[in-house]
Amino acid sequence: MSTALPPWKRGTSLSSISELLLRNTSKAHRSPALLVLEDGTVFRGFSCGAHGEAFGEICFNTSLEGYLEVITDPSYAGQIVTMTYPQIGNYGVNEDDCQDEEVSLRGLVVRDMCEEPSNWRSKRSLPEFLQEEGVVAIEGVDTRALVRHIRSRGAMRAGISTEDLAEPSLLEKVRASESIVGVNLAATVSCEAPHGFEKLPASQSFALASCEQKRYRVVAYDCGAKSSILQNLVRAGCELAVVAWDTPAEDVLALHPKGVFLSNGPGDPDAVGATYEQVRRLLGKVPIFGICLGHQMMSKAAGGTMKKLKFGHHGGNQPVMNLLTHRVEITAQNHGFGLVYPSLGPLVPELSGGMAKHPADLRLWVEKGVAPVVENPTFGKIRLTHVNLNDGTAEGMAFLDVPAFSVQYHPEASPGPTDSHYLFTAFTRLMDGRTDYLDIDIARDRLAGWKF
Amino acid sequence: MPKRTDIQSILVIGSGPIVIGQACEFDYSGAQACKVLRAEGFRVILVNSNPATIMTDPELADRTYVEPITPAFVEQIIAKERPDALLPTLGGQTGLNTAVELARNGVLDAYGVEMIGCDLEAIERGEDRKLFNECMEELGIATARSGYAYSVADALAIVAELGYPVVLRPSFTLGGAGGGIAHDEDELRLIVSQGLELSPAGEVLVEESIEGWKEYEMEVMRDHAGNGIIVCSIENLDPMGIHTGDSITVAPAQTLSDVEYQRMRVASLAVLEKIGVETGGSNVQFAVNPENGRMVIIEMNPRVSRSSALASKATGFPIAKAAAKLAVGYRLDEIVNDMTKVTPACFEPSIDYCVVKAPRFAFEKFSGSDDTLSTRMKAVGEIMAIGRTFEEALGKAMRSLENGRFGLGADGKAADFNEDEMEDLVRRPTAERLFFAAEALRRGWGKERVAQITSIDPFFVGRIADIVAVEEALRAMHIEDLDADAFRVAKQFGLSDVQIAYLTGTDEHTVRTCRKLLGVRPVFKAVDTCAAEFPSDTAYYYKTYDVGESEVEPKTRRRAMILGAGPNRIGQGIEFDYCCVHASYALAEAGYETIMVNCNPETVSTDYDTSDMLFFEPLTYEDVMDIVDAVNPDGVIVTLGGQTPLKLAKPLSDAGVAIFGTSPEAIDLAEDRDRFSAILDEMGIVYPAAGMASTFEEACQVADTIGFPLLVRPSYVLGGRGMAIVYDGAQLERFMGEAARISPDHPIYLDRFLEGAVEVDLDALCDGESVYVGGILEHIEMAGIHSGDSACCTPPFAISEAVQAQLRNIARRLALRLGVKGLINVQFAIKDTVIYVIEANPRASRTVPFVSKATGVPLAKLAALIMVGGKLEDFDLPADDRRLDYYSVKEAVMPFGRFPGSDTVLGPEMKSTGEVMGIARIFPAAYMKTQLAISYEQPAKGTVFISVNDRDKRAMVPIARDIARLGFHILATEGTARTLAAVGIPCESVSKIHEGSTSIIDRIANGEITLMLNTPYGGATRDDGYELRMAAIRYGVSYMTTLAAAQAMVAAMEVVEESGGLDIIALQDLPQWKAPERLRAS
Repeated sequence: MSTALPPWKRGTSLSSISELLLRNTSKAHRSPALLVLEDGTVFRGFSCGAHGEAFGEICFNTSLEGYLEVITDPSYAGQIVTMTYPQIGNYGVNEDDCQDEEVSLRGLVVRDMCEEPSNWRSKRSLPEFLQEEGVVAIEGVDTRALVRHIRSRGAMRAGISTEDLAEPSLLEKVRASESIVGVNLAATVSCEAPHGFEKLPASQSFALASCEQKRYRVVAYDCGAKSSILQNLVRAGCELAVVAWDTPAEDVLALHPKGVFLSNGPGDPDAVGATYEQVRRLLGKVPIFGICLGHQMMSKAAGGTMKKLKFGHHGGNQPVMNLLTHRVEITAQNHGFGLVYPSLGPLVPELSGGMAKHPADLRLWVEKGVAPVVENPTFGKIRLTHVNLNDGTAEGMAFLDVPAFSVQYHPEASPGPTDSHYLFTAFTRLMDGRTDYLDIDIARDRLAGWKF
Repeated sequence: MPKRTDIQSILVIGSGPIVIGQACEFDYSGAQACKVLRAEGFRVILVNSNPATIMTDPELADRTYVEPITPAFVEQIIAKERPDALLPTLGGQTGLNTAVELARNGVLDAYGVEMIGCDLEAIERGEDRKLFNECMEELGIATARSGYAYSVADALAIVAELGYPVVLRPSFTLGGAGGGIAHDEDELRLIVSQGLELSPAGEVLVEESIEGWKEYEMEVMRDHAGNGIIVCSIENLDPMGIHTGDSITVAPAQTLSDVEYQRMRVASLAVLEKIGVETGGSNVQFAVNPENGRMVIIEMNPRVSRSSALASKATGFPIAKAAAKLAVGYRLDEIVNDMTKVTPACFEPSIDYCVVKAPRFAFEKFSGSDDTLSTRMKAVGEIMAIGRTFEEALGKAMRSLENGRFGLGADGKAADFNEDEMEDLVRRPTAERLFFAAEALRRGWGKERVAQITSIDPFFVGRIADIVAVEEALRAMHIEDLDADAFRVAKQFGLSDVQIAYLTGTDEHTVRTCRKLLGVRPVFKAVDTCAAEFPSDTAYYYKTYDVGESEVEPKTRRRAMILGAGPNRIGQGIEFDYCCVHASYALAEAGYETIMVNCNPETVSTDYDTSDMLFFEPLTYEDVMDIVDAVNPDGVIVTLGGQTPLKLAKPLSDAGVAIFGTSPEAIDLAEDRDRFSAILDEMGIVYPAAGMASTFEEACQVADTIGFPLLVRPSYVLGGRGMAIVYDGAQLERFMGEAARISPDHPIYLDRFLEGAVEVDLDALCDGESVYVGGILEHIEMAGIHSGDSACCTPPFAISEAVQAQLRNIARRLALRLGVKGLINVQFAIKDTVIYVIEANPRASRTVPFVSKATGVPLAKLAALIMVGGKLEDFDLPADDRRLDYYSVKEAVMPFGRFPGSDTVLGPEMKSTGEVMGIARIFPAAYMKTQLAISYEQPAKGTVFISVNDRDKRAMVPIARDIARLGFHILATEGTARTLAAVGIPCESVSKIHEGSTSIIDRIANGEITLMLNTPYGGATRDDGYELRMAAIRYGVSYMTTLAAAQAMVAAMEVVEESGGLDIIALQDLPQWKAPERLRAS
């Protein structure tokens, strides 16, 4: 073997002498794996999940903990996720923390996988879980170099293989794989039949409050809903009917709900027409709350334009300014597309601090301390309520003429900070018919969901 | 909201001298705060008694007071400067306590000074356990079950309910001083009685033991709008029961699932809100039961802390800087993240590496004290290491400690131990425990057993087991068998070249050569607060053996690399960091791209904006050379960071690295005793007679030629370790036995001890052509006390100008002869008008910052300029024989209170942790300021206890006479009393302890004694003096162990008595050197 070549240039696994060094460690007997990006960039590593091959859009997540919630988040359908924190799997797996019954992401990239976890709630190791769930995963990758690459080049297709270790052939497969742009991934992770949802995970009861009395019948559109969102709705007192992504508005209204919830979901919002068409028909007829893809569905219903972000927001530390309370929420986010707020309509100057022209950067509203309002041709006045402080993207809106509001980020967190828990409370207040439904003390509400 | 405009001037209180539990992290935070506040246009007034700090550099504040941090002095400063606001949260516990007192006694109200950042009520809720527990109860956050004791009986009653073991915490003490864990009634009685004395409130918290639980810390920031963020979570590798300052800690938290972590996060934010921390940083500590996740809050500090400094360095988020901005009205979202320049500071840093902090201990300096770690902090310093994995970071941490080790064992440096004690060594938390845990794994004890015995989380034990497994596999191999993959595996598990060399039976250089030939080179990654999500232009790097890209920018201009001082330890503290920081500033001004290498998270040098590039790495040959390879510096500065970089001078030079300043050859010339003696002979300079011996017989022969008393020390040891003065053959014999144990197979050095000589330190600059003497420091203690432990005064108060001229002359000739380019420190002893040279060190000395502050000439900056070719004649320096208007005294601060059982006698082995400075127009007043800066109060009228050895009896008389004249009542042991009576000084006589009397100890305990003078005789025997000094420490009685100190003290008291108080002086009112324009780079 030519030892002068760096490993990522070589086609084989570790040398036998280094295998000897690892013989008595937790990393003995690993098999090689290969990660290839669409632009030809190659990373060599070792298999740390299921064997096989996986293709999808490469992205990264910056959460320091909560890897299981990330891996099981249905919004990652179609994607290969890179965890930026290098050592993953340290506290093992407790399936109560899973965000869905099935794993939807295509593959996982980590720097170092932990085979011997430690935590009182852990039932098994992450590699065991990945194998059982059939998730292809690679470790030993310089994930920081990979992230920097994605940062400068943007999201792109990629493939991981534990079988085909030849770079040209894997690259060819990557380039032949389907792009997620324009694909309706929500359809693939939605539920098939309507069902109820009321169970709260037993192993989280040491930390999280149990549910309130059920006071609100809510229909939840499932475009790939995270369990923790549904659990938060249950805890807020909702009796849930979970329905498929394309359920007709009439069927929903026939259930006489007090409110409708629009879930998160994967991929390109433009491709989920059957949902936002229904949302357009529901808006004004019933109070609506949307999260992530749900927010995008409401935007689309109001005729808004979506743009694809260069590498998306995926992590648990995004600062969002609430323009109504002037408080910053540290939020969990996971989306690759975002609303172009000005596309909803022209500004209403008297409700927008006198401004008639949309600013280039929404952070101007933060500076001015104003929550601007547009006049939407279909639904009337829509107020911008939340702005991302990192890049000035729109993070939340409230319809003023119909009872509806939505956020682009994840108030259920899981994983991530729970600063925005108040939005679930706000939904119940909206269903109670209050107009000041968003006027909530974040700090007080944040504390309410927990047991110490 | 932008910054407040209703305040214009702000008083910042520093933390005073370096003591255990309060080190230079507060210089780091205070310096950041001063810089920020001045940049915001505020008039900054600073008080700090510690001269070795960057924050007390005159250009960092508008008015800098190097004065005692006591309410009285701070009140004087407030009266003179009339600040609008006081920022109390950046000066550690000292700053906070002083602010609290000023608020309570009405001074702040009287002068209309507003406390910003945190108000009195919030501080009290955070610090007072009772109020704190009430707040937690209201929040529903569990605390350990507990009760308050105001007497031993109270404590016993509480224990009857809780059961043993219990944790004892005296209220309002620093770093957990006086606390401990009691497993039975005897221990309870002892710790509670001590704790009641130590606690200003006379109260001790008795708490259920949560020993063995997992321990976490959250570093939280909050602004006045109520926005809160967690900057960093920290998980302690060592379980509950060991003070977090003594624990190995890891960032971020490693074994918490999201639901557990978020619960802790929410609780932390709620705690700040509840306690009422209006703005700034706080640290919240939790314990988690590993069996069921039960979470208990331990405490919170409503101020910037040691952990804040660590969290700042670990994440790149400047907590102190942000805290200062928040205090003057900004919100978190109005502060820009320095790293990315485009995103706000209102976010939670994401990191893509693992950080390990390890404490540095100094038990070897305090023989007789218990080295078991507990809730009372004993570490004197710490280091931080960054790696992509825990394994890599731990390996670095274990070779950063400057304790002779090169990793977690497997380096051939392990000390022998008693096999029978193995289990105890694994179980008992000590400085070396992790090494024994690794040894146990090596012996196949199994991970479960080790985790069970140590209460270290199985996650960490598993990682360590992997490291040990790689080490053991390597042990069976030959270096030539290793290929690139194998080297990379070893490196990724954190092994150093020295370890690989030891395990494969070769040497470090061979390993390095083989490794590089195989192309196994490290890469450097940036610390950027955001896990690479956004571009960053801050060059803060760490080394890793990832196979991908390196992020160091290519060289575009001249580069100067400065090697820092590593962890604080006794003998090497903040002074050297001060010098390195100054060098960095000076070289940046001179047009160099500056590169700092250091591993001490407490320091200003490891602030990411001190130098152009920062490498957070161990200061070993391997790590430094890897950085040299990556950045290709034009030269390396090794003479400003103390012993740590100095010992790398030769290896680096041998490897072809250019050394800036004094050449390694010249360093060797001064360091090598024989070569140095030859030079002194050649130049006709007198030095004490000396000899060398390997056996007692040889030693006796040397003693016969030189004569007693002798200064004796083992060779090949550091920091004066094991040094002693022997007066007779019996003591010499005892010493020889002792030395054989400390440093077997090495000879003993014996020097003529110049008893009664006056010691002098001299710091000078030399550019190879001329010499500038920065200062002459006259020691107050006589020869025989380590210069680091001795008080000293500049300009000298009792040395004639003629002798001073002679000293300068000798230093000039020596510096030129040795070929110094930079700083040199010469130590002299003057006895019977003869000047002896004790030693010369061609490097920055401990006294450089002090001399710079005293004279207004920044010696370290000038030294750096000389090292890159600057000439003294270009600096426009004031004449070095000018007369100064003020006397400056430096006094050492001793950590004996932390090491019960260890003797407190000063000697040739350095034991102090820090220093204070006093400035006044006359020497005694300056000396008194230093005493006030340390003990925080002046001895009131009352009883002075005197007990001196026979040699001192005659010299003691005039001092005692002064004491009596000052109106003190004198109490003396029989021998001393007889002498006093004979010369007509009234005194009361007490019998000695070994005569069966405990009356004197009782009187100390009762607070009857205000001042104690006890000079010991000979070796460290556990005699009366020992018991007396222990009692003095325990009950906080000021004491002196030398006549010289007593003399100074008495003179000082007399001055205060006559003048009715001490004036304050700002550094800005003293002459300060200004760099001539032409020195600045064009």
